[in-house]
Amino acid sequence: MILTGMINLSAFLESLETSGLATKIRDSLVLFPLLESAHVFGLALVFGTIAVIDLRLLGIASTQRSFQRMASEILRWTWAAFALTALTGALMFTTNARVYYHNAFFRTKMLLLLLAGINMLAFELTAGRTVQIWNKAPSAPRAGKAAAALSLALWIAIIFMGRIIGFTTTRAAPSTPPPAGINFDDFLQGAPNGTANPLPRNK
Amino acid sequence: MKQFAEWLATTLPSLFIQNHNRWLIPAIQSIHIVGIGVVLGSAFLIELRILGLAGMDQTLRDTASRFDPWLKAALWLMLATGLLLVIGEPVRELVTLSFWLKMSLVALATLIAAAFRFHVRKHEKQWEETLVHRRSIKGLAVLTLLIWACIIILGRLIAYDHVWGSWSPASKH
Repeated sequence: MILTGMINLSAFLESLETSGLATKIRDSLVLFPLLESAHVFGLALVFGTIAVIDLRLLGIASTQRSFQRMASEILRWTWAAFALTALTGALMFTTNARVYYHNAFFRTKMLLLLLAGINMLAFELTAGRTVQIWNKAPSAPRAGKAAAALSLALWIAIIFMGRIIGFTTTRAAPSTPPPAGINFDDFLQGAPNGTANPLPRNK
Repeated sequence: MKQFAEWLATTLPSLFIQNHNRWLIPAIQSIHIVGIGVVLGSAFLIELRILGLAGMDQTLRDTASRFDPWLKAALWLMLATGLLLVIGEPVRELVTLSFWLKMSLVALATLIAAAFRFHVRKHEKQWEETLVHRRSIKGLAVLTLLIWACIIILGRLIAYDHVWGSWSPASKH
């Protein structure tokens, strides 16, 4: 039973890697770098907006403002940015699924993301229930502060795990040499310059 | 520039970072990303206020002042960690088109932020009553956010400067 599950998972990861979309990303010189850039943009917005909320809960910043108002104005953008980050992350994962899946830092990152989700839930079930009482107070009750501090620590750790994945994995090589005419200056000059595909790295 | 980068790579601080780069470079990069998160978050919320999408219970000046110390501190943090990254991998950073494009945009975005801060403090009434409602100002707010987005994209493209083809100085040797 467990063995069947493992075989299925391995087959699933392989089917992700051989999918048309993953192949297209691997074979392109620009798609992976652009996905990674969008991933960093998304996570910067996720971290930046969450930090604003967490610092408010801790009583360090924005202490004069209503917590509920801030949360309702800001968190929708956090979720939109998170969706962008998750989507671009998933697309990058498919290009080299088996390597990422077995990478310890990738696994740690997924675990920390899960913990960040549980932490959010714990906040809703504790300090979140009494928000009417402390909404305008300069900081949240102790449980809310603890969740905010934990949230900041978890997200910083998630960023570090994400960054070190790039140093501990090698990027999948394109299955075929990239077709001529897809460099940026080819768009401008209209002629492929025939430069060789540089060694893939994503540090 | 290439000669300078190669010389820098032989200096003691650079060798220290190179010898510990398994942990040090990703750690410094992570702090750099935390910094850009704070910058982007602050710039984003000031721009939402200008667009009238958040923080309308506070004046524009109060909103700007609220994020000011964080924006400033994060920019200094980014300068410090950015310098360490250049010292640690001079050739990888300095011999790229992405790096220099990014630096130009960083200068532009910082200038816009400083000019905005100065002008809002000096002409507070004018900003609250008329300027903030102007289409051109709202457009400028969106443009500033786009500049920060381009800075982040170019920052990541330093690792992939080949996307510029023969425009990248790295392709010249």
